[in-house]
Amino acid sequence: MSHKSNSLKQLALQKFKKNFWGVFSFYYIVLVGLVSVFAYVFAPDNSQHANQMHLSIHSKKPGFKVTMLTIPLQLETNQSFFDKLFFGKKSTDTEVPIANYSVGEDVLSYKEYTSDGLEGDLKTIPLTTFPDSSVEDYIKEKTFLFGTDKYGRDLLSRVLVGARISFFIGFVAVFISLLIGVFMGSVAGYFGGKVDALIMWIINVTWSIPTLLLVIAITLALGKGFWQVFIAVGLTMWVEVARVVRGQIISAKEMQYVTAARALGFDDFRIITKHILPNIMAPVIVISAANFAAAILIESGLSFLGIGAQPPMASWGAMIKDHYNYIILGKPYLAIIPGLCIMSLVMAFMLIGNALRDALDVKS
Amino acid sequence: MSNNNILSFKNLSISFGENEVIHNISYHLNKNEILGIVGESGSGKSVSSLAILGLLPKKISKITTGSIIFNNTDLTTLSSKSFQSIRGKKISMIFQEPMSSLNPSMRCGKQVQEILLQHTNLSKQRAKQETILLFEKVKLPNPERVYNAYPHEISGGQKQRVMIAMAIACKPDILIADEPTTALDVTVQNEIIKLLKTLQAETKMSVIFITHDLSLISEIADRVLVMYKGDIVEQGETASIFKDPQHIYTKALINSRPSLETRLKVLPTIQDYLNNTTNHKIISEADRKQKHKILYSKPPLLEVKNIEKEYISKSGWFNKPTSFKAVNNVSFKLYEGETLGLVGESGCGKSTLGNAILQLDKATSGSILYQGIDITKLPNSEIKKLRKDIQIIFQDPYSSLNPRIPVGEAIMEPMKVHKLYISDKERKEKVIDILNKVGLSEAYFNRYPHEFSGGQRQRIGIARTIALQPKLIVCDESVSALDISVQAQVLNLLNELKEDFGFTYIFISHDLAVVKYMSDQLLVMNEGRIEELDDADVIYKNPKREYTKKLIHAIPKEL
Repeated sequence: MSHKSNSLKQLALQKFKKNFWGVFSFYYIVLVGLVSVFAYVFAPDNSQHANQMHLSIHSKKPGFKVTMLTIPLQLETNQSFFDKLFFGKKSTDTEVPIANYSVGEDVLSYKEYTSDGLEGDLKTIPLTTFPDSSVEDYIKEKTFLFGTDKYGRDLLSRVLVGARISFFIGFVAVFISLLIGVFMGSVAGYFGGKVDALIMWIINVTWSIPTLLLVIAITLALGKGFWQVFIAVGLTMWVEVARVVRGQIISAKEMQYVTAARALGFDDFRIITKHILPNIMAPVIVISAANFAAAILIESGLSFLGIGAQPPMASWGAMIKDHYNYIILGKPYLAIIPGLCIMSLVMAFMLIGNALRDALDVKS
Repeated sequence: MSNNNILSFKNLSISFGENEVIHNISYHLNKNEILGIVGESGSGKSVSSLAILGLLPKKISKITTGSIIFNNTDLTTLSSKSFQSIRGKKISMIFQEPMSSLNPSMRCGKQVQEILLQHTNLSKQRAKQETILLFEKVKLPNPERVYNAYPHEISGGQKQRVMIAMAIACKPDILIADEPTTALDVTVQNEIIKLLKTLQAETKMSVIFITHDLSLISEIADRVLVMYKGDIVEQGETASIFKDPQHIYTKALINSRPSLETRLKVLPTIQDYLNNTTNHKIISEADRKQKHKILYSKPPLLEVKNIEKEYISKSGWFNKPTSFKAVNNVSFKLYEGETLGLVGESGCGKSTLGNAILQLDKATSGSILYQGIDITKLPNSEIKKLRKDIQIIFQDPYSSLNPRIPVGEAIMEPMKVHKLYISDKERKEKVIDILNKVGLSEAYFNRYPHEFSGGQRQRIGIARTIALQPKLIVCDESVSALDISVQAQVLNLLNELKEDFGFTYIFISHDLAVVKYMSDQLLVMNEGRIEELDDADVIYKNPKREYTKKLIHAIPKEL
């Protein structure tokens, strides 16, 4: 009889699957993950950082439509396919929003789009700029689903590309915090005594510095930029992980199976990694989910303050920063849309954290 | 008859979810009697008594059929409001764990007084006097001091006395005692039992005494009820049940506990009774002498010399640190193939001694010679080799296995660490071999610890220990957490393995009957010192020290 056995892990997974909000959040997070990886595939504007500006149509409502003339770029670029796929097109064609146009014998004349009922300039362009096919192929109606930002960039594309930063900061920060936190926590909890006192001292000092201040200090030391933010946030977050791990290990090491492992002559590394850590992963996973959410919030806060990702890089926090003064000018969507994105992603992580906590609680 | 009847169960069934745990039981409790309910864990003895007070967890449990009649009212239909006037006043309860059933942040006297104020119209002053009277009644030394003491300031036995005082404060008609002495030492247990008996005789209340310990119940109860898997298998007068048990289960339960008088070669288990294959072979004194002669002619395997373990506690910044000797100047010799029994009450230092031998805790002074080498001075790298030779079997089968590692791997891991055998395939074969030896099968290889019962887990623990082929095994209360019938199986297994592999055991327990059954030599410890060290039978027959006499006297004797 080969009996397929249910490990505690599988039991927890079964329980998790029954939690609707947990599973829903999980799929939402997977979706955001896919979107952030393939942002440039989905984005209508696939220039690098979704940075195609059309100043004449800045800050338009969601669903705004305009006729767009695309003037093809003269010089050749040699960008690889994958580079384009993951980082966007480096150099793109110029796009001009137009009100109307007429095709002459060898020139195309068009009137530039202007808002507020003003007359746009009349401009002409030789037809030779448009190679091979007819001019009509270069004039299309374009819809901006989420409207445009204050530089006339497509807000939808910015949101999609911005997901990347929020998502990856979560990953990198949680990864760094786990790496340092689990190590420091296990060493402190398992060995106790002076090692514990020293690590607790470091933890308390790190904790006493306000997170934002510490991140600012680290960004100043390492220079501005979004990689620095990743590391800075990770470096502030390990403290919580370490405290949780330490507390858990102190109680887990009193368990008889740990004494048994010691009596069987296992070395400390093996006892910690194989016998203690797998048994205390539940609270660590839960706190990681919360940290994921916190990292996203901290990053948007930093971007809002202007020390996060630097323009033209798209980031949800930076987008709110760019447009928060539009809220009272009757165009709140510019700030609300990225705000909602942050909220939903953070909430998804919180919900998944709650669901995991319930699922991993084997006692009930 | 019906006049005499104070509480009766009629066809009661209780379910937890889909699972019925009590099947249609009926019994009654007479006025002025002690009714003993005996059964193993999971037999439903506690659940049925919780039902009397309406204390079953509401969400998951349900009384499906039947009724509990007390003074012409059906307790199963009572609302929780009307229960409050019954609980504590008419029916009260004593719990198993005195350490956790008293509120640690309230003075003991206040907790008893609270009940009096709740259920009677006494003034505060009167209630206090009444409380002190109660404390005198339960024979607490210095009642005034206990009245003002916090629970952590008094001993376990005294706490249980406070609990009893609480329970009898309102002169209840029925007292339910749910394993009231299981967590206590034998000598304290003996005192509490005597106290309960005298109290019952004085107040003429009815007592339901629940326990897993048969010999204990034979001392206290007038009538006995034997429960097994949610059924009452037998009930009747105590004497008749013990002299002439009818049901197979009762027979097995009575006989699977090692007797103090004779030494059976193999302890009978329930399975034996079901298959009718009980083995009544007795190890005679001559056999034993013969065996000992051979044993003690060889040089000792382990020699403990003047070992001491001192704990230093710092009670404050300004106080001098106080030291406490958990093990004080202990020396003994252990011969290959022998079983040394180590017995004593909790806190006597027996586990500390075991840990010192295993080098889990370093001894403060003294030396431990293993095969002539002092292991207290070995460097860490040498100790790792020693670990292979000296092993331990733990008390708690639930926490001694890592819940996230399948049992097969758990047994294989020490082999890997100590590089026994060449390949994983060979190791796996060995593991299956060992699993078969301890009475489990290959099918269990990939299962996780939570899928096993307590007895099975203890077998897995033993399998993991013997996987290293050690020479010396310390059994630290290895059977104390197990039910009597399972305990017999594990004891038989330990003896069997000893014969097959030639192990040497140090058998630590607080249960004198079990230790006596297992051991060649017996070491009685008290407050860190050796009280007596001699052949187990000699000590039992002619104890020399006062403490040993007290200990032997305190064991409940069967009828």
